[in-house]
Amino acid sequence: MDDIGTVGISNYAQESLGDIVFAQLPDPGTKVKAGDECGALESVKAASEIYSPVSGVITEKNNNVENKPGLINTSSFDKGWLFKLQLTNPEELNELMSEEDYEKFLKSDVEKDHT
Amino acid sequence: MDFTNHHVMMVWRNEPCVVIGRHQNPWQEANVSHLAEKDISLARRNSGGGTVYHDRGNLNITFFTPRERYDRKYNLELIKRALFRGFGIKSVINKRDDIVVQDNYKISGTAAKLGRLTAYHHCTLLVNANKADLSKALAKRETKATESTRSPVANLADIDHKVSVESLQTAVGYEYLRTPALHIEDGGQTLIKKQRGFQFVNPTNEWFPGLSGLRNELESWDWCFGRTPVFTVSRTFPVPAELLAPSRVYRASEELVINMTVEKGLISDVTLNIPPGLVESGFHGEASVITHLKGKRFTSEALSALQDAMLTRHLSNDIKKLDEKEQFVAKCFDQVVNTI
Repeated sequence: MDDIGTVGISNYAQESLGDIVFAQLPDPGTKVKAGDECGALESVKAASEIYSPVSGVITEKNNNVENKPGLINTSSFDKGWLFKLQLTNPEELNELMSEEDYEKFLKSDVEKDHT
Repeated sequence: MDFTNHHVMMVWRNEPCVVIGRHQNPWQEANVSHLAEKDISLARRNSGGGTVYHDRGNLNITFFTPRERYDRKYNLELIKRALFRGFGIKSVINKRDDIVVQDNYKISGTAAKLGRLTAYHHCTLLVNANKADLSKALAKRETKATESTRSPVANLADIDHKVSVESLQTAVGYEYLRTPALHIEDGGQTLIKKQRGFQFVNPTNEWFPGLSGLRNELESWDWCFGRTPVFTVSRTFPVPAELLAPSRVYRASEELVINMTVEKGLISDVTLNIPPGLVESGFHGEASVITHLKGKRFTSEALSALQDAMLTRHLSNDIKKLDEKEQFVAKCFDQVVNTI
């Protein structure tokens, strides 16, 4: 079984970051634990760390994005992927939000700001 | 620190230094050899953005909040109000979040960093910085790293001599204390009385455990220079006629071309294009030059390695000096590494 996952940022994240001007991605071979800082994105608004959602070993980083960081803004779920990793603890996937949960989470966050 | 119920603004100053953004190239942004000569430090910060020069005439301001309350516009608006309330100075916040006075003079640069739970936005304010030193320290070379956008700058003291770093600190401080945390409005003395006021901060490991570790990392060569994105430099040098083999007739000017790729601050690749005239006149150091430069730091360390490489080729003849052709090649490399 392969257990290779692809990591990127959400559409909400790319929108709130603004135009991304630089992506610093982890090198293949790097070992990461869930929650570890493994790179950074710099946008016109701020520099922001990239945190690995799960534990594993980096297998590939997206060189296209390093040369053309704007891909993260225009295609965050497709061409703008950041890196791939081999999962060492697949059970961690259960702790992540599904797309539905995430949408609900975003809406509740918006309500908080308006009270 | 948890900033949920307690936002913090920090004001601070540095001794002369050049501060580059997280993903910038120090060789592109500053005159590195000049900095070393003048004892001006070089620092790479964690936030993004461009390069700035600090000295005691520059005030740094950092705004700390929880990540979701990160709001640059609010912070800059606050500074704008402090400048007006304290000194009657009118300013504009432009599209790049620079504070500009008298239509196009920049007095402040801004950068920010978002962490998992917290965020900071910091900016500079030029009060009476040494503009001559500033220009000499900042330089220009072209690579792929995040580039600074140059602007004409002005010191606030030039506009109103009553502005000093101390008086500005006080003005900005009180503006911060009299403004509610989440929206711009004047809360006046009533609000000031409810705040915690000014506090002196001592940046030592005792006050902030773990600070020494962070400091060591930020002062390391690997962070300041090694974090530079991959870049290549290419320079062409016409070879002086007296170094070329006299027997040939040269149709075009003979040129030495040096290309270097620098990865993580170390030379990862070198290609030399040695014109036939120089080869024929006796320069054969190409292979040894390349082997000795690879892996060296893109600093005078590389130049020393180069000199050693060329000298070791003389082993059999026991000659301790470089011949003119080798000196010429060494000088060219020196220019590639040390000048813009």
